Amino acid sequence: MAIEPAYYRSLRTEMTEEIGERLGRCLRPGDVVALFGDVGAGKTAFIRGIARGMGISKPVTSPTYTIVNEYDGPVPLFHFDMYRLRSAQEVFDIGWEDYLGRGGVCAVEWSSNILPALENGYIRVDIKSGFEDPDMREITITY
Amino acid sequence: MKILALETSSKAVSCALWADGVCAAFSYQNSGLTHSRTLMPMISNMLGSAETPLDRVDVIACSRGPGSFTGLRIGVAAAKGMAWARDLPCAGVSTLEAMAAQSAAVPGIVAAVMDARRNQFYNALFDCSGTVPVRLCEDRAVGIDDLKKELIRMGKPVFLVGDGAELCYTMMKDVEISVTLAAEGHRWQTAWGVALCAAAMAQRGELTTAAALTPVYLRLPQAERERLEKLSAGQPGPDAQ
Repeated sequence: MAIEPAYYRSLRTEMTEEIGERLGRCLRPGDVVALFGDVGAGKTAFIRGIARGMGISKPVTSPTYTIVNEYDGPVPLFHFDMYRLRSAQEVFDIGWEDYLGRGGVCAVEWSSNILPALENGYIRVDIKSGFEDPDMREITITY
Repeated sequence: MKILALETSSKAVSCALWADGVCAAFSYQNSGLTHSRTLMPMISNMLGSAETPLDRVDVIACSRGPGSFTGLRIGVAAAKGMAWARDLPCAGVSTLEAMAAQSAAVPGIVAAVMDARRNQFYNALFDCSGTVPVRLCEDRAVGIDDLKKELIRMGKPVFLVGDGAELCYTMMKDVEISVTLAAEGHRWQTAWGVALCAAAMAQRGELTTAAALTPVYLRLPQAERERLEKLSAGQPGPDAQ
């Protein structure tokens, strides 16, 4: 049975975070959330919300330079930024497969760079920007 | 000869001291802590308890793969570091062979299987009917169905070890050959298996240097991984009619 995608409209960063928080409350160990969106779309904000929904109190920062940040919580959150990676081999070399097996949630920014490494069954979050209202976003969550 | 062996390819961590064929010391832990925290204190405590300081060790051995990316790197790095100081010879032991080494005197084929995700196993086959395992094929990554077909074709009883053994056993319930799942105590790779293999490698003159010791991850090339994943999802591969 396929689950219908969920559509949201966000008018500002705080709303993007709230939508992420709602998703975060539903996530379970082993879930992979792959985010797609342009620079500034709000991928990190969305993941900040996911963390809150998962009961994580630590601050969420962009892993552009670290590639992955780990946040402790009732269920750990592993926050990736694949912006600098170019191939499935590079993804393997950061220990991606080990993360999948650690019983946490993997939230991935710039997932478009690493599509072949994503196994079936991930949760896809598309954040569309570029509207007349520069703060507006259309967010689609597909299971 | 004294061999210090490390095993870090999965969530469990172990180290062993092999002394002229005798298991002088063995330490094992599977408590969810990362090897970067547990390995060196474990080695230090074990050697201290056995009153065998590191400078009395002749060979450093570790599992070289397949297995956990991070775990293997921790083990190989620790082995390199310890061996480098005194230029000790090293043995990089296949994780699959280390598992098989603990199953001596088993008739038929010992199939070491490790879960490689995406319907694949890391696998090697051994003849363990004697006291030392005899390798029947190289370590490889193989599709689940392909392995099943090959074992059926070989027609001999199969003894399964490794973290993929239970899944493999379930998949082979309906075949005509006899398939046995190793009991819990015999199913997992440990530093003792690594030590046994390293001792055999030393005898055969197959030791290497700390600089040359390197992990072997055994991943399939990407095209092959994608083909296997498409097959398991019910879609034809690129060369289907």
